[in-house]
Amino acid sequence: MRDEIRQVSLSPLSRRGFLTTLGAAGAAAGFPAIARGQAREVKVGYILPVTGPLAFEAQLALNGIVLAVEEINAAGGIKALGGAKLALLPGDTQNKVELGKSEAQRLIDQGVVALIGPFSSLVAFSVRQDTEKARTPFLLLAAVADNLTEGGLRYTFRMQPNGKAMATLTVNNMFEIAKAANVPIKRVAMMHEDGNFGTTMGNHVEAFAKTVGYELVQRVPYSLRSPDFTSELAKIKAARPDLLVISGYYGDSKLIAETSAKLRIGVHALVGLANAAYSNPRFIGENRELTEHLFDGNYWHNPQSARAKAVFEAYQKRFSSPMANHGVQGYQVTFVLKDALERAASTDRDKVRDAIAKTNLTDHILTQDAIRFDDTGENVNASPALLQVQNGRPTVVGPARFAESKPVFPVPKWKG
Amino acid sequence: MGEKALAGLAVAALVAAPPFLPKYPLEILISVLFFAYLGLAWNILGGYAGQFSFGHAAFFGIGAYTSTLLFLRAGLSPWLGMLAGGVLAAGFGLFEGYLSFRYGLRGPYFSLVTLAFAEMLRVVAVNLKVVGASIGLVIPTSAAAPALFVFAHKLPYYYVILALTAGALLLTRVLARTRLGYALVAVRENEDAAEAAGVNALGAKLSAMALSAFLTALGGTFYAQYFAYIDPTITFGPGISIQGLLPAIVGGAGTVLGPLLGAFVLTPVSELTRALLRGRAGADIMLYGLVLMLVISFLPQGLIGWLRTRRMRAG
Amino acid sequence: MNGGLLLQALVSGLLLGGVYGLVASGLTLIFGVLRIINFAHGAVMMLGMYASYWLWVGIGLDPYASVLLTAPAFFVLGVAIERLVIEPNRDAAEHNQLLLTLGLALFLENLALVLWQGDFRTLRVPYANASFVIGEALVEVSRLVAAGGAVAIAFALYGMLRYTDLGKAIRALSEEREGAMLVGIDVRRIRGVAFGIGSACVAAAGALITPFFYIAPDVGESFNIMAFVVVVLGGMGNFLGALVGGLIVGLAESLGAAFLPGSLKQLVVFVIFVLVLLFRPEGLFGRPRG
Repeated sequence: MRDEIRQVSLSPLSRRGFLTTLGAAGAAAGFPAIARGQAREVKVGYILPVTGPLAFEAQLALNGIVLAVEEINAAGGIKALGGAKLALLPGDTQNKVELGKSEAQRLIDQGVVALIGPFSSLVAFSVRQDTEKARTPFLLLAAVADNLTEGGLRYTFRMQPNGKAMATLTVNNMFEIAKAANVPIKRVAMMHEDGNFGTTMGNHVEAFAKTVGYELVQRVPYSLRSPDFTSELAKIKAARPDLLVISGYYGDSKLIAETSAKLRIGVHALVGLANAAYSNPRFIGENRELTEHLFDGNYWHNPQSARAKAVFEAYQKRFSSPMANHGVQGYQVTFVLKDALERAASTDRDKVRDAIAKTNLTDHILTQDAIRFDDTGENVNASPALLQVQNGRPTVVGPARFAESKPVFPVPKWKG
Repeated sequence: MGEKALAGLAVAALVAAPPFLPKYPLEILISVLFFAYLGLAWNILGGYAGQFSFGHAAFFGIGAYTSTLLFLRAGLSPWLGMLAGGVLAAGFGLFEGYLSFRYGLRGPYFSLVTLAFAEMLRVVAVNLKVVGASIGLVIPTSAAAPALFVFAHKLPYYYVILALTAGALLLTRVLARTRLGYALVAVRENEDAAEAAGVNALGAKLSAMALSAFLTALGGTFYAQYFAYIDPTITFGPGISIQGLLPAIVGGAGTVLGPLLGAFVLTPVSELTRALLRGRAGADIMLYGLVLMLVISFLPQGLIGWLRTRRMRAG
Repeated sequence: MNGGLLLQALVSGLLLGGVYGLVASGLTLIFGVLRIINFAHGAVMMLGMYASYWLWVGIGLDPYASVLLTAPAFFVLGVAIERLVIEPNRDAAEHNQLLLTLGLALFLENLALVLWQGDFRTLRVPYANASFVIGEALVEVSRLVAAGGAVAIAFALYGMLRYTDLGKAIRALSEEREGAMLVGIDVRRIRGVAFGIGSACVAAAGALITPFFYIAPDVGESFNIMAFVVVVLGGMGNFLGALVGGLIVGLAESLGAAFLPGSLKQLVVFVIFVLVLLFRPEGLFGRPRG
């Protein structure tokens, strides 16, 4: 399955950066071949960790972008620019700050109208300075650190929920579910990886406690590399929490879930917070019993939207795997750019930037109201979905108006 | 004679060409000089004194965090904070060095201890909220302020790192001809014999450690101001330790120009392998590891050593 | 002080320590005979894990049984690595030898990345979830088996060292290199064999870990530094020392996780490491250098 993804998606070809596989891939998928030089082209750049440790996740995001670009071009490109097609220019950061910076610069020099990326918040911190100086719109993808939009930057935009929105809205969604089930949640424990991502989430869950009215009885940061979490989880179990929230990456989240089950950790539910594993189709596929009824607050497509369902199916058909969170982001952020380009009717970066700032997009596939940006570039209505694995499939169970099924709560297996 | 002209031309190019370069090659050049500089700093302890540190990230991180915290919390200009960071790093280097050398740690044991110290600092930084923990520290660079080491364009940063590199080169050259320099070489070749001959090995090694630490810390501040963001993994992690010493090894440890040459060779090599092997995750680093093994095996004195041998053979 | 928590920390610590001792056993042999810090040790273990994984996926061979195949195969691989990479640089400066193994580690890790991509794989044996409790403390059977494997390998190596001719040759070479050569011991062969045995041990360690730990190209890194600490703690070349050292490190880490705030458990291990390096570099069981 994974090899198919590699074949049909765009592979960054040469240093010249121009992708001819867009046409080939389009032909392979049955879309009309794209004739080069027919209409103007609008260059869009992406910088993602396409090779290296995050390659798998980055590929998912890239798939989403590719799907969007193909759809846009097949439907006639950017109409306000005379049918100009989008041309995708690749950049590989290998998840390294210096490479991210130089790749971004290279793409800016090549005249991209906007930059999408870079996945890692660390890379984003450095790149956003350069995009600001070059007055190139920078559409953040996956980077969750809150202060990325701080500092009066005008060219950085974030469509997905930032750390604060992710954490607080997920907690809210869980509390809604608990209230509906008449199960009070007074004690919450959190375990998170000790890097930027996990610590951001941990800080918010801790800060939010007073507002919502729970006690954070244990907050346990852990090192990703650790081969064993039994002691940490025993510590958490001893604090008798009602809920265990976990922000982690794949391997560690898996180990935590397994150990929690064996220890009979005693919570009502295990809740992932932007967790890399708990709504990951692969993880679920390989661990059916363990993952059933796991919750995860994450970006997702809106199951109530006909368009989202169509896109989901198109993705499945094109890439032979379900569209998960990163794919949704990649797809939607490309359409945000397309919408801005239509309104700007220009490839002038400043005009595009202004158009993005005025975005008010309701035709989208996310679990939120209209996409609008505030003056710092954050999506004001950003809202993660609350998912629960039901029958081996991540199912949207919150917020209520997007839900496609009722949640199972409490989840008895954690008590053994 | 032709060699001097070539060198002169290279220097002239490095000074005069950059204003005409597009941003991307300039970016690469800054990167090359940055690692050349770190290599030069490491070289004083590793190449000249022969004490192979695997934990120079400790000094790098101290430099980066000191200047950044002083800047963010006390408004002190990073130009001054840089010096403060250097002094603190030198102090830590003396502490680390004294413990290690006093207890007779040599060779691989010394390397392991330096690695351990860097890792300890990293773990502490990750868990210390007051330095930002894993959230890291953002350096405000949106408003240009040269007095505060913040520039609007890349070019001034280039000249800063060029100046630092030139300074380090000069320092190494001068050092090599002082008593301390000779003492270091003597200690490196045979510490016991050097001691017997009256060299204060401990003093020499500690001096080298302090100097190397000071210089490395300045590099940390440069990184913070240029990349605008630091966190424990970037600054105290093993990555920067390894990347800092590789140019010296490949170019020739214990020589003046070695780290510079090494950086100029390594960066294009890694860029080229990345360009050639795009789309295959890790193939470039695989090649990198192979190159490293080959260089160690066949050019143990580094490129400079190899060039010298060739020249000697040519007569 | 929560008694249940303490008990769990102790139990987990011993089990974890067994795993560390297991990984370190091969390394201490290599350390003792070849005197090099083998940075590629974790990478070889990772390859051993992949070998067991592919055997499981391909022919359904249980990972514990796969040791019978992978150990000999990795013995050969180890000898080959020693001959091709290490031996030619035998007289190189120590730090160059360090860098050599570092380059090898980078090469092997990224070879795995190229061949099998970076996504995590799991070896799901039917008994993966087997566990029981001692009081309130959870004991996972797969980890217990790994710890048991550590003990078995440690004793096997010790027995080899004490009672076989090969073992005597190894001991001679470790303690007195010139003397060993004078007596006619084929130093080159012994070095190759030692690296081979070390690699076989760590591949076996990898196999024993697969039932409870994920498989990915960077998996070795989690264990590499711990293995160094254990080897230094236990004494270079001392197999029982590696076992005891592993237990100490495992306990320190586990108790640190239970009772220290944040992720400071890592600090405990490094502090121990530095203290040992400074005050007793020959390790707890090594002989002080003259």
